[in-house]
Amino acid sequence: MKKILIVEDDEKLREELKIFLEKNGYEIDYLESFDNITQNILDSKSDLVLLDINLPRVDGEYVCKEVRKVSSLPIIIITSRNNEIDELLSINYGADHYVTKPFNIQILLAKISSLLRRTSFDGNDKIDGKEFILNLSKSTIEKKDKQVELTKNEFKILKYLIEKRNKIVSRDEIMEYLWESESFIDDNTLTVNITRLRGKLEELGLKELLQTKRGQGYMLV
Amino acid sequence: MNFRNFIKDKVLQIFLIIFGVFTIEVFLICFNCNLFLKIYIPVCILILYLISILPEYFIRKKFYNNLFDLLEGLEDKYLIAEILQKPNFEDGKILKEIIEITDKSMIENVNKYKYLQEDYKEYIELWIHEVKTPIATSKMIIENNKNEATKKIDEELDKIDNYTEQALFYARSNVVSQDYYIKKSSLQDIVNEAICKNRTNLINEKFSINLHDLEATVNTDKKWIIFILNQIIQNSIKYRNLKSPELEIYSKKGKENIILCVKDNGIGIKKGEEQRVFEKGFTGTNGRVSNHKSTGIGLYLSKKLSDKLGIGIDLRSEEGKFTEVSLIFPRNSYNSFE
Repeated sequence: MKKILIVEDDEKLREELKIFLEKNGYEIDYLESFDNITQNILDSKSDLVLLDINLPRVDGEYVCKEVRKVSSLPIIIITSRNNEIDELLSINYGADHYVTKPFNIQILLAKISSLLRRTSFDGNDKIDGKEFILNLSKSTIEKKDKQVELTKNEFKILKYLIEKRNKIVSRDEIMEYLWESESFIDDNTLTVNITRLRGKLEELGLKELLQTKRGQGYMLV
Repeated sequence: MNFRNFIKDKVLQIFLIIFGVFTIEVFLICFNCNLFLKIYIPVCILILYLISILPEYFIRKKFYNNLFDLLEGLEDKYLIAEILQKPNFEDGKILKEIIEITDKSMIENVNKYKYLQEDYKEYIELWIHEVKTPIATSKMIIENNKNEATKKIDEELDKIDNYTEQALFYARSNVVSQDYYIKKSSLQDIVNEAICKNRTNLINEKFSINLHDLEATVNTDKKWIIFILNQIIQNSIKYRNLKSPELEIYSKKGKENIILCVKDNGIGIKKGEEQRVFEKGFTGTNGRVSNHKSTGIGLYLSKKLSDKLGIGIDLRSEEGKFTEVSLIFPRNSYNSFE
């Protein structure tokens, strides 16, 4: 399990981020004191750091620079300063990404996973869907030696349904997820995509896997 | 200055000279001098007097005419003290000194207000940065506790976030200092981010989105443009077509510019009001319909920020059919694109 270190002085935000990221399959650690912060980050043996820029007594950008001197640890900066100059400065100090408060949580999640996939060599680019395997890099579903290619939207929908396996997912929820990842589709397109996805699953002999719950949404069983 | 007014100022002097000439004439007559002297002496005095005041007149005329010409050509009139040459006569020197002193005092006074405004802007920025953390925290709490109630709170939080953003840019739009950073930015990224920001409302209202021809890049401040687009999209949502709302965003290349268009199929704007929507506080016929709650700030601010960024903003509309707002990025040495 990948370990993420949260460096944020707002206790509540830290707590909620921890809950959310743990739900999404990461191990979470956070700093409680902000003295000797650079050393603490390096000692934490994390795979990624979420770093708030406005910390008590120290400047996040300075910390970022110090960490970068000795380590290539992925750093995502979280800030409330929403302007180009700060963004550019952070990137110059060696941060990998920059998100502004209030952040879009799906985008943050996507940035974390792409960063982790890029930096870890043993990175897993396949998601196990029990009866089939979802290949992230080729965007295909595989079953034994058969494989079917998915379009961008179908791929995203299936990935989301796997994450929410055995739970009913409403159409609105799927739409919101797709929009957050920059596919701005409408209601009809979603219906078409779901139908095609179901068809492709059936091609692999996976009938009844994607169920429609009338008036509620869809469920992957 | 004209000669008559100049002479008017010398009335007492002229009166005294004439009085003197008259006295001399009386003496000359009393002492029975010859006719030549009786005429020569007064005429001589009068001519000498005239000769003495003429250069005085011409020097001043030249100085003041020059001063007015300079003022005419100057956009910021108060800079006159900087370019006015020092005159070589006493009252002119005094005038220049007075102008310099009042000028200095005025500039100090203006600077005081500039400083106050800058200070206020800094406070607003600080305040907004502070308030972003509780907004972010609240949104995280909602994310971890999804239900019908928190979803509604989430929508209200989005509104709060939009209003704080508006306040931030309002503060930025009023200061003289440059507060933006020009960088090469992709239109696709800018548009995606703006739409993503409004996703909840757009999905709720069942908008269909049509994005095309957005492969271009422009040199601009991305954050500012996203803010402007955000204002435009919010209007499109507010004044949407109730049956099947659509939003089309695309760009087209002109010879001298690249234009980003945001077009909706909403209720449109009444004829004659299209240009007034950029005025501060203008709510128009649509805005006064109670359920729309127009503030008259969004487009006003967009226009102000566009002016600062050096891009054009234009609006076309047909009532009951569509509204299209275009952002015009000029192609020049500072603002090129491929």
